[in-house]
Amino acid sequence: MNVVIDRPEAYWLPSRHRFALSRLIAYAKLRAARAITNDVEHLILPIDRDQAAVEMNGAAIWVFVTTVCYIAAALPLIWPAAILAAIPIAAIVLQFPIVGIGPIVRMVMGDGDHIKIISVITMSLLVIASSYFAVSTSWARYVAWFFFAVLIVNGAAAIVLWLLRGGIRAAEERCVR
Amino acid sequence: MRGVVWRQLLRFAILNVPPWIEPIVMAFWSAFFLLWGPGRRGVMRNLKVIKPGSSAIANFFRCYRVFWNYAWTIADNVRFKELRTIPDWEFIGRDHFQAMQASSGAILLTAHMGSYDLGAHLFSETSTRRIVMVRAPEEDVETREFEEQHGAEGLRIEFNTRATELALDLLDTVREGAIVAIQGDRVVGTISTLPATLFGRPTTVPAGPFALAMAARVPIFPVFVVRIGRRHYRLVTARPIEITRSSNRDDDFARAVAQWMTELEGVVRECWYQWFTFEPYWPEAAA
Repeated sequence: MNVVIDRPEAYWLPSRHRFALSRLIAYAKLRAARAITNDVEHLILPIDRDQAAVEMNGAAIWVFVTTVCYIAAALPLIWPAAILAAIPIAAIVLQFPIVGIGPIVRMVMGDGDHIKIISVITMSLLVIASSYFAVSTSWARYVAWFFFAVLIVNGAAAIVLWLLRGGIRAAEERCVR
Repeated sequence: MRGVVWRQLLRFAILNVPPWIEPIVMAFWSAFFLLWGPGRRGVMRNLKVIKPGSSAIANFFRCYRVFWNYAWTIADNVRFKELRTIPDWEFIGRDHFQAMQASSGAILLTAHMGSYDLGAHLFSETSTRRIVMVRAPEEDVETREFEEQHGAEGLRIEFNTRATELALDLLDTVREGAIVAIQGDRVVGTISTLPATLFGRPTTVPAGPFALAMAARVPIFPVFVVRIGRRHYRLVTARPIEITRSSNRDDDFARAVAQWMTELEGVVRECWYQWFTFEPYWPEAAA
């Protein structure tokens, strides 16, 4: 694994972020962060796409809140009670693709890293659930619309990233050098 | 929490859970393990000593924070072993760290905090010095086999069961210029101990690291690996403990132990949520 040493601005390397929107924000931050002072004596930052805490925690909260809303909308309870009940249920439901599909994937593909395929399946299930709620008359349709809005913005960010790919590569090389 | 099943489940999770769901999974399982009565009570009793006057309800939520940090720490450790994913590292006390690297043999004394294993792996990968970890063996045979099978490469691990033989082996190892890493905050099993005081209460610490340092005439470097966020650790190296030999060996040990306890107390006071001691640490805390 590649690492960057004693360069705090490397926190904002787009290569340390997973989603296009986050990579684009990181690129903007990297351009702005020319002279961050290093407040620790020595810093080692690995270049790994899943390294950014804000991005992953943000995505987790977004997915969790979305799932809580869908489950709450499906429960035959008044909404405050439904939301309270949906919180633990959502925490369990979100693990179903992992425990349900993980062993099958392992059986088919053998032991090893299956994060990518589980990730795609889980996101696909969320898209299916969001499609269902987006066309419903439930209050959860607004949550589903927001879900799709985020996906669209992320897609647009991916296009911008592709257009800026030369500049991003150069900025990353300058930071890593 | 013993048994190979938990380790297998953790390994499965590391290889299957998408990072953008991971915080939810961690939050859920940290809450689930609050049902583990002995562990929860052990942490809460220790917290009562670390934070005098604290209420049981506050300590219950603090206990959740300890479990949460522990879950991330062991996950990061398995992630490193399985996927070679390393976290962000920042160093405090780098002069001492470099002095340790430059020394001709040293004892690295640490505590059950952050990720001891991950820290040791970092040393083994970045240091020119050989590092030997000493630890208590897993009691369960299956668990021990699992750990041996899934251990990281390039790191020698010695178990503190065969006391005399191990002491001589380690003495040779340190004299050859290697760094021996030992957890010195609590006594596990029937090993020789030294009296100590932590948070104003009497306790005991393993005598091994101090005896080894005295015999090999090498310094002890207190090193703490502190988790400060998702995949982000801080390595704190404190000033070395030099064990001077005088006519009174007990006094020599007492001075060294007192310095070690001062360092340990400072770190535990600040990072209580990362002191992974799930059994009552002080005899009276167990009562």
